[in-house]
Amino acid sequence: MTMPSRAELSTLVRTKVAEVLGTPVEEIDESTNLEVGYQIDSLELMEIGARLEAALGIRLDLRELIGVETVGQATDLLTRRLEAQP
Amino acid sequence: MSRPRVAVTGLGVKTPAGTSVDAAFDCLLDARSRAVHVPELVARDLAVQFACPVPNFDPAAYFNQREIRRLDRGAQLSVAAAADAIADAGAEGAAAPDRTGVFLGTGLGGILPSTMIALGWDTDPSGMPVDSVARVMPTAPAAWIALRFGFRGPCLTYATACASGATAIGEATLKLRAGEVDMAIAGGVDTPIGAIIVAAFARIGALSLHNDDPAGASRPFEATRDGFVMGEGSSFLVLERWERARARGARIYGEVAGYGSNTDAFHIVAPIADGTVAAACMDAALVDAGLKPADIGHVNAHGTATPLNDRAEAAALVRCFGGRPPPVTAPKGVTGHLIGGAGAFEAAVALLAARRGVVPPIANLAVPDPDCPLDLVRDEPRRIPVAPVLTNSFGFGGHNATLVLVPEP
Repeated sequence: MTMPSRAELSTLVRTKVAEVLGTPVEEIDESTNLEVGYQIDSLELMEIGARLEAALGIRLDLRELIGVETVGQATDLLTRRLEAQP
Repeated sequence: MSRPRVAVTGLGVKTPAGTSVDAAFDCLLDARSRAVHVPELVARDLAVQFACPVPNFDPAAYFNQREIRRLDRGAQLSVAAAADAIADAGAEGAAAPDRTGVFLGTGLGGILPSTMIALGWDTDPSGMPVDSVARVMPTAPAAWIALRFGFRGPCLTYATACASGATAIGEATLKLRAGEVDMAIAGGVDTPIGAIIVAAFARIGALSLHNDDPAGASRPFEATRDGFVMGEGSSFLVLERWERARARGARIYGEVAGYGSNTDAFHIVAPIADGTVAAACMDAALVDAGLKPADIGHVNAHGTATPLNDRAEAAALVRCFGGRPPPVTAPKGVTGHLIGGAGAFEAAVALLAARRGVVPPIANLAVPDPDCPLDLVRDEPRRIPVAPVLTNSFGFGGHNATLVLVPEP
């Protein structure tokens, strides 16, 4: 699988966040703070993680995911994980 | 010192008969069944292909998209019915959050999401939605009500099969009398309209098989009845300690005056034919209310339209009322059987009927069963004096619950 660009990953994360939060994707940008802006709870965060795992065919560490606050940080986490793929 | 009284100050319903209290009551007065063919059941060519769904329920009227994704249908119907009841009572903020409790009855709990998840993810269990546990747990609907309104008193879920909704109202009444809460949101829910669930009930012969005539299928106390019709729905009552309700100027529909609860201990799904234990349950509710059988203006029967239930219930009523039961109605001819939602819905409409002095007729009652020697209300609504009502709910497992409700003019 070709490594997606950062822009593509950002779009993917924004899309999955918007799906779970039931908002238009345009409402979500890299600076969106999921905790402060949406009071996201742990189950919703894990659901976003599960949807990203399914879309990218990777496994995410739940502990890492729980530490994520913004959409940009989630995109960075995914980038690191994909770069570390063998 | 006299015992604390429990006032009913709000009603909310999401049922096959209607999604507002007035619409549902009018539908009962009209006595036309709400059973329809259900595409999923027809497509699977099941033995039973019809049921009573809640029509025209629009989740978007109560929930945003984020909530719609998280709450399954049972939780949605419950929160919506509870929200209606709270609005009807003008009860938001009327009691401290930690003095407000949620009391919900459900016979089948999260069985609909359970079967959907099991069927959908059988080959890939690890891929199931993250919130699967939060969807299937039977406590989810009550918890979502508490979450939505911030109620921090007891949040309890009761399971007494088809009696669950009445049990929840009765148990909430005891908590209010004991002073453990000042306000209770009490009701019930079930959403059993799914292929696996309907097939399971059909397997034990509990359901009507009139696929050719769904609207004529649910026939409480009728000579040719052949089983109940599956329904879905939720209803809630707002209950408050009487003096508090009076002090805040709340409109009071009436009082939960009596509650009886006992168990046949006879058979896992069949009632005792002579109705002795159900009659004892009614007796207990009357004693609890401080009333005599002659004080009751009408009876809201459990009346499922199974051959066994209706005959046993008729025997119990004759026994309890000394051979002369007051007029009897049975809403399940219209709504089908809402399982855990039934007792709560029927408490709401029974209290309205008692308060308005008009008893809805039983749907599809062409020829009354001669083995059910009751004054069955049929053909058109019956005018009666405003008087207390007794409402029965009996469940598989032998669970019996009876409420006595006294209307307030």
